[in-house]
Amino acid sequence: MKTFFLSLKTTVWTLFALVCLFFIGSYMMPAHREVFAGMNDDILFRWVKHTASGELWSTWWFFAAMAGLVLLTINTIACSLQAIKGRWSRNDFLLRIAPQVIHIGFLFILLAHLLGAGWGYKLSGIMPEGAYAPLPEDKVLQLHQVRVLTDSHGSMTDWSAEVSLYENNQLVKSGMLGPNVPLFYKGTGIYLKSLNFDRGPAAVLLVAKDPGAVWALAGGVLFMLGSITLLALKWKKT
Amino acid sequence: MPFVSEQYPIDLIGGKSSRTSILLVTVFMEFILIILYLIALYRLRLMLPALVLHAGFILYTALNFGRIPLIGLHDTLGFLAFSIGVVSVVAGWDRKRDLFSYITVPLIALLLVGSAASPSMPGALPPVLKTLWFELHVVLSFLSYALFAIGAVFGILTLFLHEERAELNQYRSLLLGYALFSTAMIFGGIWAYLAWGAYWLWTPKELWTTIVWFFYSLYLHARLVRGWTGPKVVWMGIIGFAIVMFTYAGVGLLMKSSHEF
Repeated sequence: MKTFFLSLKTTVWTLFALVCLFFIGSYMMPAHREVFAGMNDDILFRWVKHTASGELWSTWWFFAAMAGLVLLTINTIACSLQAIKGRWSRNDFLLRIAPQVIHIGFLFILLAHLLGAGWGYKLSGIMPEGAYAPLPEDKVLQLHQVRVLTDSHGSMTDWSAEVSLYENNQLVKSGMLGPNVPLFYKGTGIYLKSLNFDRGPAAVLLVAKDPGAVWALAGGVLFMLGSITLLALKWKKT
Repeated sequence: MPFVSEQYPIDLIGGKSSRTSILLVTVFMEFILIILYLIALYRLRLMLPALVLHAGFILYTALNFGRIPLIGLHDTLGFLAFSIGVVSVVAGWDRKRDLFSYITVPLIALLLVGSAASPSMPGALPPVLKTLWFELHVVLSFLSYALFAIGAVFGILTLFLHEERAELNQYRSLLLGYALFSTAMIFGGIWAYLAWGAYWLWTPKELWTTIVWFFYSLYLHARLVRGWTGPKVVWMGIIGFAIVMFTYAGVGLLMKSSHEF
């Protein structure tokens, strides 16, 4: 059993299985839109509980991929622990540590996905100017005004929305939202997705809290650092 | 708050007559570039004038539209052709006329023909794309694709010409490509988080991007397995490029995804 989790062949075959499962998933998703349409609308565990678990005929690949990722996680941890055992010399320090930094980055990213899948929230909708919307954790969002920039032909080139965030009836944050310019407060992000003028000026907003986001960023940074270091070392060696 | 489906408005700006003249210049330039790249069939170093002109063309487009040409098939096929050109000249600088140039030069020409045949999207970037994270994500992605392409070419040289050092050159190309591709994905995740509140979405494009990443992770680990070096691993490096090309073009053409712009 220990040999199985320490084996590089386990890594290779698990990665191959994941390639196959994701390949199957890429075809199952558009083929069963009614099942997968809501996958990104809310935190993943809710979709798994309310939809995926009742549609195994079309979601089996997803559960198999999750099992594959669990196996890959155990395999990565086991191999990394094995790799750092024994004596270290100054000469091979970087060559031994760089892959482990990459592995830690990968594990942080998986942890980020797990946290984001099970905790936090996503809310989306249209808010007219001047409206208030209650949010989780005793917060309230207010939209003051939307602004549109147009070119000489009257086409929209940019847009923004002025918002305020209240917590326990106290103003805690206010600012201007725009494309790629969200507002953050205590891990909650407020995003301006687009504008809507069907019944007067309104903004299409997304409010999301993802407790995994900071772990994803940390994992990404570690992965990049480890990859660049390993690349430099292997390049010199070859 | 009730959920509603949103559409991202994409606006094309620019006067009709200036757009027409830019398009005419584009078609003319693409024709010249294809000719110049084909000259490199004689010797790879002769690709330099084509690369300089192509770089100038990218700069011309950037100055006219206020953005690097990176949206839609027309822009990205051209940029991929340029990237493969740069990587192939660096990797094959000392090479004489051989299978390396017989594969890379027609590949570049084919990509340019595909670019010329695809409709361009003149005008400024849509607001959701106006961020450095998007540009870094796309530039690094295409540089990595170019390295995966050259890695596949070295794989072909290994299998069919048994060229010394070709397998090592394949490994070096794919290792560098993997590092850049991973960085591109991370930058893409940062951009997505700022734009849409999620660094990952379950869509066919993201699944295929992950397939590419898993596949090259598989290649890099497989090389370490005793008894697995040689043709088995070399073929992986070649198949990987086919997966990359499907991820880049096939998914966008055949599957609906939020990655379409």
